[in-house]
Amino acid sequence: MANVNYRAKPNKVMSEQESISRFLKNGDTFTVGGFLLNRESDCIFREIARQDITQLNYIEESCSFGIDILIGIGAIDRFDQAYIPQHQVGSVNGLPQLNRSLKEGDPRPVKMGGVLNTQNYLGDQEPLELIDWTNYMISLRFVAGAMDIPYMPCRSGIGTDIVKYNKEIIVSEDPFKNKPIVLIPACKPDVAFISVQRADRQGNGQVFGYKGVDEWKARAAKHVVLLTEELVPTERIAENPANTLIPSYCTDAVVVLPYNSHPHGVFGSYATDRLALMNHLVSRQTTDGFKAWMDEWVYGCKDHFEYCEKVGWGNLEETRKMEQKINILP
Amino acid sequence: MTETSSAHQVPEKSTPFSDVQLICCAASRQFCDRETVFGGVGISFLAVAIAKIVHTPEIVLMTEAGYVGFAGISSMDSPADNHGGKGAVLHQGLFEMFRDMQAGLVSAACLGFAQIDKFGNCNVTYVAPDIRMNGSGGGGDIASSAGRVVYVSKFSPRIFKDKLDYITNPGFLDGSPDAREKANLVGGGPCCLVTDKGIFRFDDKTHEMVLSEIYPWQTDKDLDEIRAAVPWDLTIASQPKIIEPPSAVEMDALILMDPAKRYQEADALKRPVGKIFLEGKNDIASYREVTKIFNNSMLKAVDKLL
Repeated sequence: MANVNYRAKPNKVMSEQESISRFLKNGDTFTVGGFLLNRESDCIFREIARQDITQLNYIEESCSFGIDILIGIGAIDRFDQAYIPQHQVGSVNGLPQLNRSLKEGDPRPVKMGGVLNTQNYLGDQEPLELIDWTNYMISLRFVAGAMDIPYMPCRSGIGTDIVKYNKEIIVSEDPFKNKPIVLIPACKPDVAFISVQRADRQGNGQVFGYKGVDEWKARAAKHVVLLTEELVPTERIAENPANTLIPSYCTDAVVVLPYNSHPHGVFGSYATDRLALMNHLVSRQTTDGFKAWMDEWVYGCKDHFEYCEKVGWGNLEETRKMEQKINILP
Repeated sequence: MTETSSAHQVPEKSTPFSDVQLICCAASRQFCDRETVFGGVGISFLAVAIAKIVHTPEIVLMTEAGYVGFAGISSMDSPADNHGGKGAVLHQGLFEMFRDMQAGLVSAACLGFAQIDKFGNCNVTYVAPDIRMNGSGGGGDIASSAGRVVYVSKFSPRIFKDKLDYITNPGFLDGSPDAREKANLVGGGPCCLVTDKGIFRFDDKTHEMVLSEIYPWQTDKDLDEIRAAVPWDLTIASQPKIIEPPSAVEMDALILMDPAKRYQEADALKRPVGKIFLEGKNDIASYREVTKIFNNSMLKAVDKLL
């Protein structure tokens, strides 16, 4: 296995740039840890855009707003999802670039299994494929991948159009009881980027609060990059062993990156930055607004630290204080 | 789980309540103590949060991201929200939540939707000709496996369809008596649809939607309008039960759960955070203002619930 070398290293700390340039290639499939709007590394999408990696396949049960950046620059070929937070902030669209792709084919048209294709598209770009699953089904794809078995059976969704239009889902018969059963194919992504509250140099990653699908994503992926809020000694990890979701034998790289989920919140670390979130989303609603926002917040920042500088370290510290009045890590 | 329109309805003379208030308060009464209850996001979460504060303090709140038995100190933008962990007895994962649900361990759930048919099948994915909605999330799984599903929505002719544009959540499928059993689905299916124009339930035999409960101010003319808005020949109970209007305690709970005023102000930019954002301020003082809005309310709820 090509990744053994990385996983055996006693010190896996590297920069965000290196973790992406080393492990994520054009055409790869990747996933990001976390669920919907919390402990979802937003910085990953910005760095992938800066490195201009394209033709990517992204799979995530319920994604955050960050993927819209890569959809907006046409870097995503295929997007497997159960939920996209389009209408999460009332009248402000959560994924305006996806919406523009759907309606105008800009930067690429969209093909959504069986029901929806971008209409009147005259350009020559290949469509972005949008494939629907349920949250449980996507989690089962990673569970099967982690266990290295071809599929997982489940009892969700018979009679729905999810099963009808998604050609990779098979409705079969349970060979023991002869009842219908849904078979969900395994997924082994090339890279999983997982945000954790604490990690040590060897890559033991600890998660506090909800766990999402991260332990399975980390075991299914060929390469695992931990983005940690805090780098701690192994002794500190051993104080709360039940919170180690990802052991070092699954980890290829540790990136020490405080506020890596910003503007989203992380349990016990910082609250959602509602002002920055509003600013990002409102700015990205139009094509011109999106381009200007990319120039300012993505291409205009060398790395995540420059982004934090731009948000303001004092402001970030306020979101930390806000969270710690509600949740405190052990 | 789709957020249903939160547009603030201009109160009619006879109803001093907004649609969100009516829906959340009526839906909050649909659960029993010690049941395990899955809350969605948006008004479907508000309904179960009010249930926990006002009616059934012993319900075990669950979210799909992995929070179990939590206090519910504020409305949820996402099932993974940090404050979902507050007071929780278990922080687990999404696969584990759905594993438990498929094992029949979840009594009830509350969900929103975009379209519903007479057998309680729902669409939250795609509205013809070209509108992509949020998609299933866990809705397709919850409708498959939860003991029963309480659906919530603002009443509108748009939500009732003879044929859905996309079936995301299985209801009673084609309505035949054993349709769910044949599909090997675990849960009991939809139990009711709570709207601001009444509560619809499903007939035990035909599995067809019936308007069975109405608000005290609804007249025969209102019922005719409801009938006209539904594309099939809607059955209305011969003596519909009367729904109690929202009580003061329920209304207080709703306000406590909604510090962002998402359900009291339709325009995101007119809400407290939107206003601070529009002032163009980006300093520590404005961050502290935001903190105050949310933390004051959440800490008040902590006092009440924990």
